[in-house]
Amino acid sequence: MTDARAFQKGFVLLVPAVLFGILVAAQWGTFAAADRRDVTIRYVEPLHASIEGLQAQQDAFKEQLAGLRTELDDLQRTAATQSGATQDLQQRLDDLRALAGLTAARGEGLVVQLDAPPPIAPLDRPTCFAPDLTDITNMAWRAGAAAVSINGERVVGSSSVYCVGSTIVVNGTVASAPFEIRAIGDPAALLATFDDPAQLRDLKRRRDERSVIFHATRAPLIEIGPYTGPIAVGSARTE
Amino acid sequence: MRSRTGALTVAVVALFLGVLVVSQFRSREAFSRTLQQETPETLTTLIADLSDRNRQLRDEIFDLRSRLEQARSSIAGGRGALEESERELAHLQVFSARSAVSGPGIAVRIVGPFDERALSDLVNELRNAGAEAIAVNDRRVGPRTWFGPGPEGTLVIDGAQAQGPWIVRAIGAVEVLYVGLTRTGGIVGQFQLIYDRTRFDVTREPLLRLPALSSP
Repeated sequence: MTDARAFQKGFVLLVPAVLFGILVAAQWGTFAAADRRDVTIRYVEPLHASIEGLQAQQDAFKEQLAGLRTELDDLQRTAATQSGATQDLQQRLDDLRALAGLTAARGEGLVVQLDAPPPIAPLDRPTCFAPDLTDITNMAWRAGAAAVSINGERVVGSSSVYCVGSTIVVNGTVASAPFEIRAIGDPAALLATFDDPAQLRDLKRRRDERSVIFHATRAPLIEIGPYTGPIAVGSARTE
Repeated sequence: MRSRTGALTVAVVALFLGVLVVSQFRSREAFSRTLQQETPETLTTLIADLSDRNRQLRDEIFDLRSRLEQARSSIAGGRGALEESERELAHLQVFSARSAVSGPGIAVRIVGPFDERALSDLVNELRNAGAEAIAVNDRRVGPRTWFGPGPEGTLVIDGAQAQGPWIVRAIGAVEVLYVGLTRTGGIVGQFQLIYDRTRFDVTREPLLRLPALSSP
């Protein structure tokens, strides 16, 4: 009887002890998570500030570069009036600049919107759209587009689109959804290619499943600025 | 009547500015929101990429300033700007793929099933690694080049049918291009997993000769 009573007493103490243990463990976990969070915040905030600072610096560099290119172009143009040979050279330079995407373009075309629907849970990671953006650009060239831009960045011969995490880098510039792809060209030809069920199948399937927002509309007048990035030619030599 | 028109103009301009400010704010907000969800490792990679791009831009600004000075002094000396124009012409011919080019680089030999999306991704990756000129088999890749599917074993490049095996050649900084493609988790490693019946060989090439773009 005494043994049974002692067992009952012990059992009564055991339950609060286990509960207390659970509470301590949970509290410890919360503190540890808070510490990890503090460390993350400590590093993330300055990293955000660095990115925004570097992006602002890049914008300023691009503006300077565009100004210098215009200045050099004006100088060459003025010098070109002096002889027929340089005039011919100037004409070739103008043609090549336009072909390379170094001059602004305007005309009718198509505007494509690409975005992710609002996240269901707050911590849902955004989609990486780089493959979709390269597919859409490929489709635009296929439909005969004369100029294409992604969120204002002119797509040229050196352009690449890639993801770092879920952030997109186009022409070395960081960008995020929503994306606007502008394509100058015959709107009917562009729209026909985009509407062709055999094209952009994966993107259209995801649109139908509502996991992506994707639509294209005709535009009577689109303006696309010139490429303002570097023209790196160091290893290749003309033959 | 005139004051009414003026007020209307001011209202329209104010509305336009308001829309611009709001859309700019929203775009910045979306951008910041995306950054908030990135890990410190990702943010560090972004910083490295941005710093690298800014260094390239700074170098080009420095180069353009010096070229501008040279052109000015050449014009002042009565020699015109012919030398500078010819130099720029050569640069633009490479950049727009309008001339045949030569230089060091890498070659990717692809033997087996492959598709147009993967080829487009490979070209994108080479551009990302700083390729200055790219060709697929004997066709130069230009600023507006597109890839499409073709009948069995073929692909369409700028409207022309091309037959595999594929040799993708790229001129640029050899080691950067080579490491860019073959690093662990890089595009060639991914291709090897996805196209398990296809062989991918990447080689460093001391001298490549690529043709000019054949389509307009």
